[in-house]
Amino acid sequence: MKNLLYKEFKLASHPTTYLFLALCLMMLIPSYPGYVEFLYVCLSIFFIFLAGRENKDIFYTVLLPVRKSDVVKARCLMIAVVELVQVALAVPLALLANKMYHYAGNLAGIDLNVAFFGSVFLFYSAFNMTFIPIFYRTGYKVGNALIFSSIAIVLYYIAAEMLVWVPSPVSKFLDTLDPAMMVKQLPILIAGVIVWVATFFLAYRRGAANFEKVDL
Amino acid sequence: MEILSVQNLTKRYEKFTLKGVSFSLEKGYIMGFIGRNGAGKTTTLKSMMNLVHPDGGQVSVFGMDFATHEMECKQKIGFMLGGVDFYPKKKLRTLAEVTSRFYSEWDNEKYMQLMERFELDPEKKVDELSAGMRVKFSLALALSHHAQLLILDEPTSGLDPVSRDELLLLFQDLIEDGEHSILFSTHIISDLEKCADYITYIKDGAILSISDKDSFLDSYRLVSGTAEQLSGDIKNKVIGLREHKFGFEGMISRSDIAAFNGLELAPADLENIMIHIERE
Repeated sequence: MKNLLYKEFKLASHPTTYLFLALCLMMLIPSYPGYVEFLYVCLSIFFIFLAGRENKDIFYTVLLPVRKSDVVKARCLMIAVVELVQVALAVPLALLANKMYHYAGNLAGIDLNVAFFGSVFLFYSAFNMTFIPIFYRTGYKVGNALIFSSIAIVLYYIAAEMLVWVPSPVSKFLDTLDPAMMVKQLPILIAGVIVWVATFFLAYRRGAANFEKVDL
Repeated sequence: MEILSVQNLTKRYEKFTLKGVSFSLEKGYIMGFIGRNGAGKTTTLKSMMNLVHPDGGQVSVFGMDFATHEMECKQKIGFMLGGVDFYPKKKLRTLAEVTSRFYSEWDNEKYMQLMERFELDPEKKVDELSAGMRVKFSLALALSHHAQLLILDEPTSGLDPVSRDELLLLFQDLIEDGEHSILFSTHIISDLEKCADYITYIKDGAILSISDKDSFLDSYRLVSGTAEQLSGDIKNKVIGLREHKFGFEGMISRSDIAAFNGLELAPADLENIMIHIERE
């Protein structure tokens, strides 16, 4: 698997994989929707698949001494690394933004707090759960995977932001930079990570099962 | 020693069926896998390698069942679908470096020797290579991990006659040590005449014939005669019959020679055999 992951980053990665990681600097834009930079991560993952198709990555990989399911597993691991790196880069920038704009918070959506990062993992989960199994139904219809995953993440985004925008005890709990509340938001982060790991596993299982049926 | 055995390989598509393909290949030989376009050559090879899911059948490589020992089998196989056409913007050096990591028996010294022998520049990108160079690079990758069985899908298609000849000579060089075997599909008859030891003929998804080249050639005769000589009895025995205003021409099986006594018979070459069989 180490070799396959090496292949993913050495051959399959697209320049936007790295370029869009830099977009976490958008965290520093005052009152800007926090999910946007993570949307770009999803877009860069789409570009990896698109470039893979144009470069016949699947044909190259399946001829190597690996199983078909390993092709899916390697790509899933690559996506996991990219998504985690983006979160890792975004956290310190969110802390910095919160320090800089603490007086106002984020007026364009949820504050960049612990609950937000938990929600980011759920956002990723919605993308992974749709994009990976749908792409591996054919191994080449990357546009289909993008359309359905876009619908999934937009619906998730609307639902998540509604919880913040519609005034309620929940919105007060979620949309705050109060350190005491942020500690209470920790279960959301933990739940987000657990769901992300579980859905990744499921997305891999379904993707690998779909890909197994594909005649190349 | 049997290096490859394919038994009853079946694959059903809506408009095409691979009908129980079986053949085997011994160590140290070259087998040409022939048939017209769409006969099932690529489907067979892809089904053997699990790229296409066969509906039935068994493939053994070096005595190991391919389905259960896929990784071990692939270590010993070099499989090429034409030449290298993946990652066209990557340098050969990069592709070789990544590929080498997957093979326990990768031999970098051999790789360098092959690159030199094939006059391939590792700093070139894949799309800077000619069709012949791409095939040679594929072979360099396969031979550098000591693949003993090369399965090549139409390696000579699109090559000029000189490059084709070079490649076929290379195939012959490779099997001389008695350790390598080559199965290659083609619809270019002269390839087989130059280097195949065995010929497996596939038509409409079914194996029509498996034999050594000389026996295969000796199995048929070309026949021609006047319209009067083409009586009802023998007409049914003519393969790929073509009637014209001066008479007829076609091909017969060697076993039917007695029935054609007095007609003009001539040895058939591979091209004629294929044309007459496909005309049926």
